[in-house]
Amino acid sequence: MTLYHFGNCIALVYAPYHMAYKFSGISEYATFSKCVYAGALYIFTQLCKMLLLATFFPDSDNIQGGDYDIFLEILKATVDLADLLGLYFALNSIPGKGHAKILTAAIGWASAEVLVTRSVPLWVGARGSEFDWRYVRSCAESNVALLQHAATAALVWLWTRSDLPRRHFPLVAALLLLTPYRGLIEDALASVLSLGAWALLGVRAITATAVGLTALAVYAVLAQQIGI
Amino acid sequence: MWLDQADGFAEIFKGYIPYYLLVVFPIFIIMSPANPVAASHEFSVYRMQQYDLHTVPHGCRSASFNLEGRSLTSWSMSRHCVVARIQDITIDQFVEIRSKAGALLLVLPNNDTILTNEQKEHIQLLEMAMMQQEISIPVYFAEWTPDFDDIIKDLQHSFITDDKSGTALEAMFNTVSSNGYQIVVSAPNPQRLDSKPVTIHGKLVGRSATPQTIVIAAHYDSSSIIPDLSNGADSNASGAVALLELARIFSRLYTSASVRGGPSLVFVLMSTGHSLNYFATKKWLEEQLDSTDATLLQDVSFVMCLDSISSGPLTMHVSKPPKPGTPAQSIKSRLHVPIVHKKINLADELLAWHHERFSIRRMTAFTISSLQSHKDPSRNTILDKSSEGSLRNLVSNIKITARGLASHIYNLTDEENKEDVELYDNALNVDEAAIRHWYKYLSSQPRAPQIITATANGGVSAALERALSRYMEATVSAHALDRREPEYTLYTPTRAVLYVYSVKPAVFDLILTLAIIAYLSLVYFVIQFFPRFYEEYAKLVTGKVKVN
Repeated sequence: MTLYHFGNCIALVYAPYHMAYKFSGISEYATFSKCVYAGALYIFTQLCKMLLLATFFPDSDNIQGGDYDIFLEILKATVDLADLLGLYFALNSIPGKGHAKILTAAIGWASAEVLVTRSVPLWVGARGSEFDWRYVRSCAESNVALLQHAATAALVWLWTRSDLPRRHFPLVAALLLLTPYRGLIEDALASVLSLGAWALLGVRAITATAVGLTALAVYAVLAQQIGI
Repeated sequence: MWLDQADGFAEIFKGYIPYYLLVVFPIFIIMSPANPVAASHEFSVYRMQQYDLHTVPHGCRSASFNLEGRSLTSWSMSRHCVVARIQDITIDQFVEIRSKAGALLLVLPNNDTILTNEQKEHIQLLEMAMMQQEISIPVYFAEWTPDFDDIIKDLQHSFITDDKSGTALEAMFNTVSSNGYQIVVSAPNPQRLDSKPVTIHGKLVGRSATPQTIVIAAHYDSSSIIPDLSNGADSNASGAVALLELARIFSRLYTSASVRGGPSLVFVLMSTGHSLNYFATKKWLEEQLDSTDATLLQDVSFVMCLDSISSGPLTMHVSKPPKPGTPAQSIKSRLHVPIVHKKINLADELLAWHHERFSIRRMTAFTISSLQSHKDPSRNTILDKSSEGSLRNLVSNIKITARGLASHIYNLTDEENKEDVELYDNALNVDEAAIRHWYKYLSSQPRAPQIITATANGGVSAALERALSRYMEATVSAHALDRREPEYTLYTPTRAVLYVYSVKPAVFDLILTLAIIAYLSLVYFVIQFFPRFYEEYAKLVTGKVKVN
């Protein structure tokens, strides 16, 4: 709408990331460069994924009125498993305690995503004279994405631990496997229940919170065990 | 603890926003394109007619605007653009809008909805009222689309009003929930159009020794409030089609020497009609009569003008009642039409009928028309579209006219034997397919003076010239306007692109800021309380108290 509106949107995106970085204690480890490294890994992972998608998948964006191919969509979502691999490398390269590793990787990863996918539409769209709730929503969505990435990073970290209790391993693995398809499942839920865009955002927030709490619980058990 | 947190909150703004952004950011903003957004609604709209006649301005004088859209009931000042359906606006409302509002956008009726006669009459009267004098605000017309319907409904039920709402909370809620529309048209300033009116004429030479001449004339432009939608099926596609058909019939008769008629026939098509005071006719007459080698219009027995002949039975309009025994009286009796007599009033801004141009030059002239009065609003309306009923009327009227004319030329009487009648029918048979084709073609073309006099080669004029030259040698004469004091001036643009942005009032952004601040402080406290929450949560999950 105006520059002021753009400022509003930026505040909504930037402040939670900043606060997460500043107040979670990881800034004390001087890990800013590691955040940047995680971000770079994110961009590299996305490039690899694009290469894969462009090589092995038919171009469905240009087909007008084509049927929605569920199988193809699932296959495409499977490529997102590469994200987990990227996160794994990011976690490996960050020294420090478990929670610092997880948060650094998640914040770096999520910031890179915001920068790459949301900043340009926001810059172009939110400053125009046309008002649309879409931009505010996309900003709120980036907050949920931060939570999601933190949960995913925690799960990846837990999965790499060899001292993870046996009985928790299936839970972690299942959640990890579900991660790439989470978006698909949420979209399907929204279209089945015919939810609006805001309700979909709510669903995303709820699932992200649920997954986050589960990961936190497993983390707590592990932390108890190894005494960190 | 509260102080600590406040400190932490202030930290955000201390070292962590790099100060160089204060310089870089404004530069970035200045350098990036001014209005990078595409509007969600984009419409092609038509600008209202604008012309000067004898330097008296008519119509809409401006083109661009950028204003807030309001409905007929909620607009209040010159910063508002009134958006309404053309059926809904009354003349009184229009007069008020003309003087006080910022712009006017009228949505034309949906083609599918059949207008009642009352609505049609209302639109015609409104058009007349709008063309009476100049309007300083931009006036645009848009064709009906579902999107436009939504916008109009939104505006009608919009809560953005300057009145006070019940409570402050209610007002606030209204601001958040309501939609505003910013309506933008950026068009070039109205500019004079280089207008080159033409007259197309052709002659069929008769056999008589005395060079008697009958002139048949029609103008083929149309006039309405929207130049680009002036299809003018009745006025005056019907006259032009009739003229072409008469040319075809008589050219066939005139080719063989045995059935060639006595008087010569001159067929004339003019590109400017009643809306521009028959300017082309005036110029053409000057050229033909005042030049030294004027032979075309010698000894004119009468001039027959065809104007709007597709809406019903014919009437003959004259400026001087024909005396018994004159050719005009003869054709009147052969056409069996009533006569309407109206004296020429030179004090009027516009001449009433086409024949008056000829009558001023002392020729016997009359207009054949279905209309009873020259003030009939159906001569200047956008509603003048083609229809099957009009086409049938047109065919039968062309038959009547062709018969009347032929019986005058060959001086036949009504008492004939059957064989003659058959021959006669055969010779004067009208070609309905050709009439339909030309009628459909002409009434599908916008033929406002802005359009047909601006295109020098091509367009409707060229098509008509080619059509006439199939039957006789057609000559096109172009007329020039007076340089210092042009008889008329036309203006462009006739159409533009209209953007509609949905916007929110400025207060909305403030409310949004408050909401975002509230949300961010919530996030802040969640992060602050997270360690304590984790402790409790871990206790809950593991069932043990943390050791260290």
